[in-house]
Amino acid sequence: MSGVRALRSFKLVNAGSVDEAARILAEGNAWPLAGGTDIIHLLRFRVLPDGMYPDVLVNLKTISPSLEYINYQDGVLRIGALTKLSAISRDAAVKERFAALAAAAGSVGSPQIRNVATVGGDIAQFPRGWYFRKPDNRFHCLRKGGDTCYARTGDNRYHSIFGEINGCVAVNMSDVAPALVALDAEIVTNKRTIRAEDFWDVRVPRSTVLEQDEVMLEIRIPAPPRGARSSFEKFAVRKAIDFPIVNGAALIGDGLARIVLNAVYPVPYRARKAEEILRGRTDAINEELAEEAADAAVSGAVPLAYNGWKVQVARSIVKRLILPGTRR
Amino acid sequence: MSGIVGAVEERRVIKININGREYEFEIGVDIQPGTTLFELLRSRVGLRSVRDACLGDGSCGACTVLVDGDPVLSCMMLAADCHNRKVETVEGIAREGHPLIDAFAKNYAYQCGYEAPAFIVTAKALLDKNPNPSEEEIVEALSGIISRAGVYPAVISAVEDAAEALRKRGVS
Repeated sequence: MSGVRALRSFKLVNAGSVDEAARILAEGNAWPLAGGTDIIHLLRFRVLPDGMYPDVLVNLKTISPSLEYINYQDGVLRIGALTKLSAISRDAAVKERFAALAAAAGSVGSPQIRNVATVGGDIAQFPRGWYFRKPDNRFHCLRKGGDTCYARTGDNRYHSIFGEINGCVAVNMSDVAPALVALDAEIVTNKRTIRAEDFWDVRVPRSTVLEQDEVMLEIRIPAPPRGARSSFEKFAVRKAIDFPIVNGAALIGDGLARIVLNAVYPVPYRARKAEEILRGRTDAINEELAEEAADAAVSGAVPLAYNGWKVQVARSIVKRLILPGTRR
Repeated sequence: MSGIVGAVEERRVIKININGREYEFEIGVDIQPGTTLFELLRSRVGLRSVRDACLGDGSCGACTVLVDGDPVLSCMMLAADCHNRKVETVEGIAREGHPLIDAFAKNYAYQCGYEAPAFIVTAKALLDKNPNPSEEEIVEALSGIISRAGVYPAVISAVEDAAEALRKRGVS
């Protein structure tokens, strides 16, 4: 005997091409399936109301040519949407030129999860709010079409510190997402090219702007200027397995400053006030300037009843991103 | 590759090599599309070394097996996704006479032993790629497995001993 519940049943279709996948998805009763680590969780624990599950999962891993690749050429990094996080974290070109992305991909879940989970799945993951994820739709929250946000009056220690979007205060938990925004990536789909900054949204129940029949194909990232350095920081209770309490990524140098926090807001949060303080002054970064920028990063915080402590964590993450090698 | 729009219920045979033996499972008959690798290994194949401690949350690591040489959580992977792939569990690794088995016993690298199979298969994958891992590399490789008894130091010693045994075996 084992206590692991069987997955809610579904039909599995192996898509042979992107067009075929899009055609089946367009029928409306289907979701795309990549590595499956997030969807399996939803299917096992019956997180969503029954009517919100699709009958069909469209397996994208059978698409030919494969959407699993890493290719750095002519100053542009291209990563297939089905590329595993472990491959990204180990890739020599990614580690050398896109350090924030390598570190972010390498910090997701555990080694076992990274060997299966894909970059597309990580950035499109469903909400992780604990009311949302409670098994058997125990809390029919806003993200499932309900009319109540349980986190507002309940235990919100891990929720948004920068306010709500569409009433929701569950945070985006992706580790890769802030790295993509900091590096000014683009997400290429079968329909369009979306700037990373515009990719996330708060929908029922999804977390991205992707349409029903939209298939993520590739992530494109321009090489940062020579003098700029990208970095990633994550605070979690455990180093392995845990989702972030706060994470962040930055691209700093050559006068440029992009600083992005995640797990602090329903979508990745760009710390624009901190960026403004550093812009044009990246040659003169010191403790004092980092303090000033870190204060600015959290100046718009509006913490909930139980998560004021996350403001201090976010501030520390920003400071670490600005001052490499420090642990303050 | 399939072009099976409108035929989504079409049955398909999944072929998996498990511990060196070829198996075939028919979707819709032997297994369902939603059957996980965990369920397949335990219930269909009877490999009881594949365990769970987190009810399928993906957070304990006890169900770890190797797929094409890489450690994965069998509870977070569909059996259908293992078509034409090679799966290894601790039963297969023990049958090979891998020194990890002895090293775990000699170092008492378990208390109840519940998660020992997961540690052993994950360590096997590490040693296949890296015959001389540092302590830091061992810790990182095994970081996804929880031991409630906290046997981690003994596990590290066991992996180091097994690595040494493998290197000696390579020399002789």
